[in-house]
Amino acid sequence: MIKKRTRRTWTHASLHLAMLAVSFCMLLPFYWVLKTSLTGENIFVYPPSIVPVHPHLFYYIDVWYYIPFPRYLLNSVVVSVLSIAANVVFNALAAYALTRHFRGRGAVITVLLSCMMIPFQTTIVPAYLITAKLGLLDSYLGLALPTFSTIVCIFVYKASFEAVPRSLIDAARIDGLSELQIIRRIMLPLSTSAVATNIVLSFIWSWNNFLWPLIVVRDPLMQTLPLGLSRFLSYHENTTGALYAFCIMVLAPGILLFLMAQKEFIRGLTSGATKG
Amino acid sequence: MRSTFLRILRHRFVAVPLLIVVAVLGWNAYVVTHNDGIVRGVVLGPDGRPLAGATVTMMEQNFTTNSDRGKTMTRADGAFEFTDNRSHNIQLRAEKPGVGRSGLVVVRLYFRAQDVTLREPLRVTKPAG
Amino acid sequence: MATAVDFPAASEATSGAVGKRARHARPGVRRRREMLLVWVFLLPSLAVFFLYRILPLVWNAVLSAQQFSLFAPSQWIGLDHYREMVDDPVFWTSLRNTLLFMASAPVGILLALAISLIVNAGIRGRDVYRTIVFLSYPLMTVAVGIIWRWMYDEKVGLFNYVLRSLHLIDTPLPFLQSFELALPSVLIANVWQILGFYMIILLAGLQGIPQNLYEAASIDGASPRQQFFRITLPLLRPSLFLAFVIGIMTSFTSFDLVYVMTQGGPSHQSELLITYIYKAAFELSRIDYAAALTIVQFALLVTLTWAGNRLAGGDAGAVESGA
Repeated sequence: MIKKRTRRTWTHASLHLAMLAVSFCMLLPFYWVLKTSLTGENIFVYPPSIVPVHPHLFYYIDVWYYIPFPRYLLNSVVVSVLSIAANVVFNALAAYALTRHFRGRGAVITVLLSCMMIPFQTTIVPAYLITAKLGLLDSYLGLALPTFSTIVCIFVYKASFEAVPRSLIDAARIDGLSELQIIRRIMLPLSTSAVATNIVLSFIWSWNNFLWPLIVVRDPLMQTLPLGLSRFLSYHENTTGALYAFCIMVLAPGILLFLMAQKEFIRGLTSGATKG
Repeated sequence: MRSTFLRILRHRFVAVPLLIVVAVLGWNAYVVTHNDGIVRGVVLGPDGRPLAGATVTMMEQNFTTNSDRGKTMTRADGAFEFTDNRSHNIQLRAEKPGVGRSGLVVVRLYFRAQDVTLREPLRVTKPAG
Repeated sequence: MATAVDFPAASEATSGAVGKRARHARPGVRRRREMLLVWVFLLPSLAVFFLYRILPLVWNAVLSAQQFSLFAPSQWIGLDHYREMVDDPVFWTSLRNTLLFMASAPVGILLALAISLIVNAGIRGRDVYRTIVFLSYPLMTVAVGIIWRWMYDEKVGLFNYVLRSLHLIDTPLPFLQSFELALPSVLIANVWQILGFYMIILLAGLQGIPQNLYEAASIDGASPRQQFFRITLPLLRPSLFLAFVIGIMTSFTSFDLVYVMTQGGPSHQSELLITYIYKAAFELSRIDYAAALTIVQFALLVTLTWAGNRLAGGDAGAVESGA
């Protein structure tokens, strides 16, 4: 009896050890960049010290003033808000339509599933031409438009809507509610987790999007955060700790949102991955 | 009614953004009340005593460039004051012909035109040789 | 709002035009109006997908057979671009690199499998471990690239410092500038970032395996090792396949990391198909050639995914319908 328990403790201990090693590897880059952003001494001094020496926040101040960080932040926020708003509306509408039975429903679902196989990277050249033809280069709308709807989220909504009891919907129809009202008053309130998942996923995708802004934006004032970061890198490279302060400032919202909304994030990724 | 309001407030999706907004507003209030661009300091001579009549130059620092932003003279008690600093990263140098000059002192602030009183005085020393 | 208790009737009762709006319409008209509404609801999403997925795919195919010019009408040149591609050494290098990238996916998946098994084993604090491993995935890849670029730095980077402190090397290694080490360095950074995603997928698969299977096997005297190979792995096949598909996709989409860390250099040694497509279209202004490259890339992607699907034994979407 005791032998079995000690064996289990040993196994658990070794598992913990393994996970601690893994955690160390996963967290090390964060620590290193944080340290460099606070001191910058290991840019110019070798060997670097493990612990921050004379930390200060002035690189962060530099990022705020010398780079148009507020402008980049504004651009990223506007594009993300546009993308999230459109996503919630378009995806919910489409998912509701898919819960009804109509001729061509199977075809539409097949089309959507096959669109999932077309990654964004396969479309960049014509997407650029289309955006240019629409006159949307260097604009918020042009930046956000390709992200206005995501197939994964449509299926998440669809699963959630289909779980709503039929009797509720029928009762609402008897009360004379229009379809839009049914979505707004019944479906969505009962699908808050799907909405939360949609918001979190579309925020992360539009916030982190680099290739599309790189293609569509030439005007320095319309750049989003990833673009600004990349441009700063190409101008200043390793000459200042402000680059790493910029990194931290850019990562902070993502990390914060992730820590707050882990469940929604994971649910969105797994349910989308299993094709709804 | 009141309890549901508190419950919503404590939910993380509301409480966290609210905290952030409050922090931002509070910081901005502090900035607005402390950004008159006043830079005060003291210059000491080679003998460690306050140096009057020294010229203090203020320069603004960029990632790549330096530009002059103003000059002022120290008073009888060695103190000087700038009132029009608009930057967050400045450099000061004091010198008096015939006495010497100080090293370049870098002053980094937390926001533009932050009022600051230097803790360390600028020390003017005789040039070597 | 009426409650479900009062109206347990099925839809037949309500389709008798009881609703205010439909009160005076015949069922046929109502059906048509409903159909119209359904398509109206589908329209915005479908428009976005048509405009930015389907149309570009078709247009790529068209462009790849043309000589595109902004100033003159495009001319048909058939398969000339593809012929040029065959003779293009950069194309073959980037294809090789993309395939190497794909080949590194199993390494990441195995690591993630080990981590998932540990996390699933019910040790204390596993939620914390799970969060830590998954933390890297939702981050901006540009920032991740900059962080790793910094760690790989030749003069003051962390890795060189550690290697030199341990006296494993004498002179610093130029990780991102060396012909042999550039691509592996990028691959390591990529595995670091995507490990969490693999872990989440495998965890979901692991948690879908019913516990009683293991209990029954224990009673029958199966060792943990046998249980792993006979129960866990087979039932995990859909998740593993899914992770592998993700890995394949990543090799076609990892533009950010390569762009920030090495720009595809040195001398195209870390150039991926996607970065070459970008350069061809937007730096060399050869939109038609880039379109041809895209078609090849897409064909490769579809073929690999289809082949993988076949190898995984057919229906990969069977995670929910598992045991």
